Amino acid sequence: MSDITEPNRTGRDVPPIAISRTTTEVNPTGSWKYIRPRYEDRVAPCNANCPVGIDIEGYLYLLGQGRTEEAAALLLEENPMPAVTGRVCHHPCEDGCNRANLDEPVAIHAVERRLGDIALASPPPAAPDLLRDERVAVIGSGPAGLACAYHLARLGYRVTVFEAAPEAGGMLRLGIPEYRLPRAILDRQIDRIAALGVEIRCSTAIGRDIEWSELDEFDAVFAAPGAHVGKDARIESSNEAPTIRAGLEFLKEVNAGARPVLGDHVIVVGGGNTAMDCARSAMRLGSVVTVLYRRTPLEMPAIPQEVKEAKLEGVGFQFLATPAAARTEDGRLLGIECQRMELGPPDDSGRRRPVPVEDGRFSMIADFVLTAIGEDCDLAFLPNGVEISGGVAKVDELCESTTARVFVGGDAADLPRSVADALGSGKRAALGIDQWLRERAGEAPAALDVAALRFGASGNVSIARQRGTDPLHRAAPVNEVVEFDGMNPAHFEPAARNEDHFHSAGDLSASFGEVNFGISDREMSAEVERCMNCGVCNRCELCLIFCPDMAIHRREDGEGFEIDLRYCKGCGLCAAECPRGAMAMSREES
Amino acid sequence: MKKVMIGNHAVSWGVQRARVEVISAYPITPQTQIVEELSDMCADGRLPARYIKVESEHSAMAACIGASAAGVRTFTATSAQGLALMHELLHWAAGGRLPIVMADVNRAMAPGWNIWTDQNDSLSQRDTGWIQLYCETNQEVFDTTIQAFRLAETINLPVMVILDAFFLSHTSEPVDVTDQEIVDEFLPRREAQYKLDPADPHAFGALVRPDAYMEMRWQQQEAMRDTLTLMPEIDEAWGKLTGRTYGAIEKYRTEDAELLLVTSGTITSTARHVVDERRERGEAVGLVKVKMFRPFPTGALREALAGVDRVAVLDRNISPGHGGIFAEEIRSALYDVPLEDRPLLFGYVLGLGGRDVTPAVIDSIVDRTWSAKQSERQDLWVGVEL
Repeated sequence: MSDITEPNRTGRDVPPIAISRTTTEVNPTGSWKYIRPRYEDRVAPCNANCPVGIDIEGYLYLLGQGRTEEAAALLLEENPMPAVTGRVCHHPCEDGCNRANLDEPVAIHAVERRLGDIALASPPPAAPDLLRDERVAVIGSGPAGLACAYHLARLGYRVTVFEAAPEAGGMLRLGIPEYRLPRAILDRQIDRIAALGVEIRCSTAIGRDIEWSELDEFDAVFAAPGAHVGKDARIESSNEAPTIRAGLEFLKEVNAGARPVLGDHVIVVGGGNTAMDCARSAMRLGSVVTVLYRRTPLEMPAIPQEVKEAKLEGVGFQFLATPAAARTEDGRLLGIECQRMELGPPDDSGRRRPVPVEDGRFSMIADFVLTAIGEDCDLAFLPNGVEISGGVAKVDELCESTTARVFVGGDAADLPRSVADALGSGKRAALGIDQWLRERAGEAPAALDVAALRFGASGNVSIARQRGTDPLHRAAPVNEVVEFDGMNPAHFEPAARNEDHFHSAGDLSASFGEVNFGISDREMSAEVERCMNCGVCNRCELCLIFCPDMAIHRREDGEGFEIDLRYCKGCGLCAAECPRGAMAMSREES
Repeated sequence: MKKVMIGNHAVSWGVQRARVEVISAYPITPQTQIVEELSDMCADGRLPARYIKVESEHSAMAACIGASAAGVRTFTATSAQGLALMHELLHWAAGGRLPIVMADVNRAMAPGWNIWTDQNDSLSQRDTGWIQLYCETNQEVFDTTIQAFRLAETINLPVMVILDAFFLSHTSEPVDVTDQEIVDEFLPRREAQYKLDPADPHAFGALVRPDAYMEMRWQQQEAMRDTLTLMPEIDEAWGKLTGRTYGAIEKYRTEDAELLLVTSGTITSTARHVVDERRERGEAVGLVKVKMFRPFPTGALREALAGVDRVAVLDRNISPGHGGIFAEEIRSALYDVPLEDRPLLFGYVLGLGGRDVTPAVIDSIVDRTWSAKQSERQDLWVGVEL
């Protein structure tokens, strides 16, 4: 019997602490797991919200890596005119930005503008090789037409653009005033598209200058004529007053360089972007301007920033009011009889319909009235087989109309009327035409999986995805948008958004110079840093740092990580800590 | 260099002189000034240490454990609820044999919410394997902080340096801040026996099966046993350099005493005053101050108390359902003293939640201890109004 009051002296060497004496590799902890991590890139909401279909998150990531040229190339892959959209787009990308849940959205539009200007400063691109025999005609050199021409040219097609106006640009030139979009920027952006080998024939309207039949020599046609016919505001006795005019006509004149005198008091009717452009242009011509809108500020379709700038510049607003009749004397406009409105039940658009208030008549002095309550398309030049419905052409998701080889897009198709939507429409048309021509040539390409080309379920298509030119390695991409609650906000510091710098609104008379100066390079870097790269691995390495089993390794090519599933025990820390939702967990099979 | 400073800053200066390399702490009243001063020292260069901000005391101790496992000298400070939150990590530090030094400013546990002093926070951590040293003055706080690092690093056990809330933490006293060269001579750079080393990778704190766990615990127990002799030796070594020693226990005017008060913390200073007065009146009253509570100096206390008629233990703490904790442990220590030498022992629970323990209170205890016929079945609560 040993003496139990003394510890056993066996000579065993037990250290004073728990310390391993062999490598932990003998213990493949991966056998413990019942859930495993999936290292997968998802889709940032900005990308999915962009009507153009830009990989915004991708170019912000590249900018963050200091890869400015690649960032510009990725941006230009999807968007032919970032210096334009950076200035005039209503940037729905920012509406979707997850950063809003933390502080404020990333100022994407300002970064796009800066990067677009950087790209504009580089030498024009070389014309791509002509890879295809087919020729494509594009009707209209607005954003939809130019986007289609741009993408088709890059796909190797010969493209001719027919423009009714003396200069290219469509509504970008005719509708958008210079103080929002300087002509030098627009000209250079169009020059770069022409440099791709795109032929642009101006002053050539189909049905006016040439017949539709002359387009027979082309293998496909994309018609993007825009919406140029101002809707009638139905003001009683307006035919007696020549100074009651369609706002768009006035804008076209001013944008072409005219500086008409409108008189002291100008009333602009409508609450959209055309109305804002009319009002601010009239201000610059020396008039006192009041916008008459039949609903409230909440229902205004204009870009909120435009409304804000109009107010800053001194434009007055009369809400819940609509013009009823013109008061004239000897063919001279004295004023407008207006009807006070109130909001009734919602109409088809979901907005509450304005209805007249009883005894709600009042009058306003007016020397000039500009009506801007929406525009219609003139589609009479299209061949009979193209089905028109509700004033726009009936097309499929790649803009193919009901007539063979004819594609229709931009404002002439049923989509929100914005520069971004037009650019996105032109891109889809390019893909549709390419596909259609390949099928016709008997190349029998696989049916285009449009859903796979879209950012998320409902975003626009990506050319980079279609062409396989994405410069970024994507870890097992999953085409779903990452919401804020799928991310880990603990890893982000609050940081204030860098706003655009504006011309201080002083004496604006006759000044059509640009009012928004954008942001500086340093502010752009700060905005790039604010981007959370939602859903996409940006190599922050937090997963690697947090993995308790050292089962996550950097890939040798530097493009992200590999997970060693022999040792990953499925704890889920990587997925929980990933700031951007690029790591998910799923149950092990059996 | 003599400076007038509060007890909290005496800790900070001790840490500065000890050339601590990593500090991680979370603020809590009444400790905060310790780490506040230390963060200043780190910021202005007086202490070239890494100061790690954390979100809780649990994390503070975890950070210290990581740093200490990497072989550097580490320090943290806390109090009351903060110490309670560290509980699990206290085991990790001790079981990992990591020589972390922590200051605990004794503060009563909530509820009721209370920021004043008593010892229940530190005594609740009795069995975590930490050495516990209770201080009486700001000078002792400074000296003990420096000694604690040498003790911890010699025996590979963590040490808690404990001081009373407000009576020490926020009260100014002159403190002789020992010159750096002297401290350097006393406390060399830490040489860790085991440490995290990428060149020699090992996993620490992993599974230990039943065939080895008891051996590890036994080695921990042996280290605690060795501390009983090591702690006074280190104290003496410090005394040789500075002239200041404290001992694991201190006997004050115990010669021929018939009644001994047993105290810890700042109550000791008040009790010294009462002892002096009683001695002047010719009463054979003395005092034993217990500085080291873990490991418990059983032998030293047995030697100090055996043969005395009466012992009154003053406990600023309570183990609910039992009694004053020092009294319990001393009863246990005296159990095998021969009956004829075994004193009558009286336990007094007092001063909880920072209630004043004045000379008058201690006088009443001395009077009652003289007059009692025999030991009480349970400790007496002093001054409780019901």
